[in-house]
Amino acid sequence: MSATPVRARGSATPAPSAMREGLRLRRRAENLRGWLYCSPFLFFFVLFLVWPTISGLIMSFTGRTLTGANTGWVGVENYAEAFADPEVWSSLGNTLWFTVLSSIPLVVIALALAVLVNVGLPGQWFWRLSFFLPYLLASTVISLFWTWLYNPQLGLLNTMIGWVGIEPIQWLNDENWAMHGVVIATVWWTIGFNFLLYLAALQAIPDQLYEAASLDGAGTWRKFTSITLPQLAPTTVLVVVLQILASLKIFDQIYQMTGGGPAGATRPILQYVYEAGFTGYRLGYASAISYIFFAIIIVISVVYTVAISRRSVKP
Amino acid sequence: MQRNSLARPPRGGPVLSRRSLLAGAAGLSAASVLGACAPGATSGALPLAYWHLLSGPDGVTMGSLVDEFNAAHGEVDVTQTVLAWGSPYYTKLAMASAGGRAPDVAIMHAARVPGYAPGGLLDPWDGDLLAELGVTQEDFPELIWEKNVFDGTLTAIALDSHPFVLYYNTEIAERAGALGSDGQLVEVSEPEEFRDLARELGAASDGGHGLAFGYLGDGSNMWRMFYTYYTQTGATVELPVGGTMQYDEETAIATLEWILSLIDGELGNASHDGGTAISEFITGKAGMFYGGVWETGNYRAAGVPFDMKVIPAVFGQPSAYADSHAFILPHQANPNEEKRRWVHQFVAETLQASLAWADAGHIPAYSPVVESPEYGDLVPQSHYADATDFLVYDPPAWFSGSGGDFHKYFGEYIQNVFARSVSPLEGWNGFVDRINALLAKPSPV
Repeated sequence: MSATPVRARGSATPAPSAMREGLRLRRRAENLRGWLYCSPFLFFFVLFLVWPTISGLIMSFTGRTLTGANTGWVGVENYAEAFADPEVWSSLGNTLWFTVLSSIPLVVIALALAVLVNVGLPGQWFWRLSFFLPYLLASTVISLFWTWLYNPQLGLLNTMIGWVGIEPIQWLNDENWAMHGVVIATVWWTIGFNFLLYLAALQAIPDQLYEAASLDGAGTWRKFTSITLPQLAPTTVLVVVLQILASLKIFDQIYQMTGGGPAGATRPILQYVYEAGFTGYRLGYASAISYIFFAIIIVISVVYTVAISRRSVKP
Repeated sequence: MQRNSLARPPRGGPVLSRRSLLAGAAGLSAASVLGACAPGATSGALPLAYWHLLSGPDGVTMGSLVDEFNAAHGEVDVTQTVLAWGSPYYTKLAMASAGGRAPDVAIMHAARVPGYAPGGLLDPWDGDLLAELGVTQEDFPELIWEKNVFDGTLTAIALDSHPFVLYYNTEIAERAGALGSDGQLVEVSEPEEFRDLARELGAASDGGHGLAFGYLGDGSNMWRMFYTYYTQTGATVELPVGGTMQYDEETAIATLEWILSLIDGELGNASHDGGTAISEFITGKAGMFYGGVWETGNYRAAGVPFDMKVIPAVFGQPSAYADSHAFILPHQANPNEEKRRWVHQFVAETLQASLAWADAGHIPAYSPVVESPEYGDLVPQSHYADATDFLVYDPPAWFSGSGGDFHKYFGEYIQNVFARSVSPLEGWNGFVDRINALLAKPSPV
């Protein structure tokens, strides 16, 4: 009796263990190859993202300047200063205000345009092209373009509103208008991306759903609210998240169209980080502001994710 | 096996697999990288790196000065790198100097020197060597030379000065009967006299405006205009780090109100940016134009009949806001003595050849050029050369000077004043608060 297990062990174990060993080796080789394939990406990921993120965090606790003067460890002084700096709050407010103003039309209008194109208007390719084309332009191009359109004297917009007797508007030079001016340009510029996502999602909705609804006597509006919108829900979640993140990162077009003015009315937080670090030379302070902004983005993302997941749990 | 058979080269043909093609391409690119070092190495000419921010017609003129120098000296090769002016340029320059790997020579606005010199970002010039090469303190107007010296050290060598001046359309002025016997715009010395002159020029112009001033979105231009008139009264602005901005509030407000009276929609257009002001002047719709001297080439090319003069002193003493393009030695950790010597020679020869530079509108800093009969024949350049007697530069601070944050913040707060959405006092106080917040922080240089 006692011999059986021994014999069994003696005769049977070498094979599985050799197999396991072989498997292990193959897996290791595969892993190694996997790491090898990933390594170019990982190298640049660590070099240009992970390391700067860590070094920025360290820098935010120092008095480091762009001119190379390193005044050493200052602890949370930069953070304390940032919280007390009215420019941080006003530029943060501008960023959030821009996000609110731009995200809503960028989602709603994109959906409307996608639905319009999807109903089968003649010349679909033309509408798709014209809604998406601006998205391919560089921010410098659209900034120049819209600055001309907004020009108080020679601009097309003021000329057009002049035809109906409206006084010229200082689109980019009036504190009350400048942010709206930037938002209009941004919506025109970037709506194509959301439009395309919605269009793809619309085309994936099965026709049978609409046919069944028609048989039940549902009207167009009913079909839209009871079929189209619910079917688009996952896309809407994606579009809203991507849009909020993109809007929070606003910098280029504002820098080029208004430079943050007038009187700081359009200066976003990223521009203030740029000014603090690159024209004000204070890298440590600029890093601290970046990290405060980073924390705010994390909070917004978490709140949104929690809100969405709670809603989807509901029956 | 299958893969092998697929990879097998066609029989009889040359053996060139994808892998060997890639290897070959990698080899080629490596060779080209190495080859990039070759031109300097093989020609034997000493390479000198020269950074500047001069673009447009200025850049072309500077390029030809560099080419002339290179042609005259085969043993050295100055290579210019032109960067976008403003904060991108100054940021790169500061970083290159902080890293100790700066170019051999660069151009900087003289008023920016106080933002770079204290941090050890600039190396001193060798005055004796420059004198040997024919450039001494006596060759510069006093006001310009003062900007070359920082804390007793020769830190910059000014190439020019470029004041804020008044352009006028000679045909419109003639129609308005505003030309004197010398063919130049009549002298005025009182504010109301100047406004009358603007009104007459406006009546004689095509679009009915006496003057064009572009300020929207351009803090520098607002400051140039403001500081020219403000300093005509003898008032000053000082920016002591750790303290608060020192100024004459009454004069500041009066100056803002004066400018508002010029851009009231009648004498001058109330809301111009740089481009629209220039186009108004080019198309003969404005009699006068406030701007930097560098528009000269632009107007000449457009065929505008124009002349220039310093801005009339209507508040007491003549004054002209200005800055200077100056040569600097960005800090190098291990400067090469031979290169440094050649840089001095390059600067000396460029100064001596700066009559060509004057063509772009700038007033050469090197007096022998300005005093030469050739310069006297240059019109309109010689008509505002006397500005060098009363130039005013930005109040020194690490954040002032051309393209600095000081101009930017002035524009941010004063644009609302010029657009009449806030009162001069409110706009001015907003600006002062912003600057005081900067002064309260320790200087990063």
